[in-house]
Amino acid sequence: MKTDTMSLWKLEVLRLTRTKRWIALLAVYLLFGLLGPLTAKYLGEILGVAGGELEGAVIEFPDPVPADGMIQYVSNAGQIGTLVAMVVAAGALAFDSIPEMGVFLRTRVPRVWDILLPRLVVPFVAASLAFIIGAGAAWYETWALIGPLAAGDVLAGVGYGVVFLAFVVALVAAIAQVSRSILATVITSVVILLVMPLFGLVDAISSWMPTSLLNALAEIPAGTEASSYLGATGITVAVSAVLVWIAVKAAGRRLS
Amino acid sequence: MITTTSLTKTYGTKTALSDVSLAVPDGSLYGLVGPNGAGKTTLLDTIAGLRKPTSGSVDVSAKRHEIAVLPDTPRYDGWLTGREVVALAQHLTDVGGTQERIDEVLALTGLADAHDRRVGGYSRGMLQRLGVACTIVGKPRLVLLDEPASALDPQGRREILDLIAQLRGSATVLFSSHILGDVQEVCDTVGVMAGGQLLYQGSLSELLVGGAVPRYLVRLREGADVVAVHLRTVTWIDHVTAVGEQALEVQVDSLDQAEASLAKELAAAGARVVSYGPQEVSLEHAFLELTQ
Repeated sequence: MKTDTMSLWKLEVLRLTRTKRWIALLAVYLLFGLLGPLTAKYLGEILGVAGGELEGAVIEFPDPVPADGMIQYVSNAGQIGTLVAMVVAAGALAFDSIPEMGVFLRTRVPRVWDILLPRLVVPFVAASLAFIIGAGAAWYETWALIGPLAAGDVLAGVGYGVVFLAFVVALVAAIAQVSRSILATVITSVVILLVMPLFGLVDAISSWMPTSLLNALAEIPAGTEASSYLGATGITVAVSAVLVWIAVKAAGRRLS
Repeated sequence: MITTTSLTKTYGTKTALSDVSLAVPDGSLYGLVGPNGAGKTTLLDTIAGLRKPTSGSVDVSAKRHEIAVLPDTPRYDGWLTGREVVALAQHLTDVGGTQERIDEVLALTGLADAHDRRVGGYSRGMLQRLGVACTIVGKPRLVLLDEPASALDPQGRREILDLIAQLRGSATVLFSSHILGDVQEVCDTVGVMAGGQLLYQGSLSELLVGGAVPRYLVRLREGADVVAVHLRTVTWIDHVTAVGEQALEVQVDSLDQAEASLAKELAAAGARVVSYGPQEVSLEHAFLELTQ
């Protein structure tokens, strides 16, 4: 009787389900997907209840428009959701963080790529699904509370967001194979993602940065042309490919 | 099966392996003994391809999937069950393996009752058994074991040593240990390491009958001191030590020389010989002679 009860792919699915990491991913994106449009709709009232009058001055908010629902979702989920996605990816990709576990896998596969591939794909798919579900919730609630959004704009924004998540996982993969530590991988990845928007302050390169894709879901429904992100998409795909190549090379090198 | 040539590994100024030329015969049960820090783990890691030698070469006559490696403290994802860990090991090394084979190795390693428990709750000894189960499930041709019984209680050690002994004939086994009794019990070939150097390698029997320092034990009816005086004048006899009043420990250049000429010299000394023969020493004795 042939055995097919375990594989490196199933191992990664079990890592997500048994450690409940999928719940963390889904909860963060879904929570902000539900809260985003709600916040956009009632931000004025919320601040009013919290003390909107300041020494006689009254803060007035313009009436929300549908794009505000997505802006709120992206501004919240884009940061915390990305952080959770990085932690989940680092937990899978830093397989040498416990050397004995690395030895178990490394000495049993012909190529280190066999270990890396499921650890790249499964966290990426999980993070993307959570992001898409969160975006779907935000889209629905925006329609229900504020007004409709063009489907093409939302889908294009979601697509760019997924490309950004691919970049995040590739970045984590490269750092994980160099640092071989989950904590160092997460911290380094966070620092890099925090620094990247600073480069975006330079107008000439801002539209080419991978981090610009994260905002596409907020900006396209607000009026930005979807095609204006094609350059950043090309750069992001190319950089992600290079990062995966670095990960494979670094994973293939032997211990010191 | 394994040949290393002038293998050297350094970490900065520290030398972990120095000019190690190991030869592990096909089908042998090779025990690598040495104190902690001798370089055993570095040598096994280098043979397994986990570390890159500074100089020298490693030649292993087995394909990647035919080699099974067990680190000294095996660890696995704690949310997997014991059975799943073994099934994963089987999937990676023997794609055509059967569920029955998994059951078999779980039973052999005493984990049949704990197979559906998550390994995060396993004791260190159970993890060591699980490591052995993962190592043998794919029926490897070459098994590299780093201190496989070090964490086990006496009964567990007995069982693991029996398992290793059962691999004789089906796999070549290279296992390291600082527990000399374990090596003496199951191995036919032994390598002694200290300070990154391979001080001895060869058959265990040769080492134990004087391979380390060739020596004869001569028991006499009387007159040991007179016989000793004569033997000390013989050029191929290095050292003569009285063991009480009726025995001499005779250290010789070679066992061959002693076999050919010791009887003649004893006769020339007028010795009343009760018995004589190569001195059988324990592995511990030989080990201490080599390493001190």
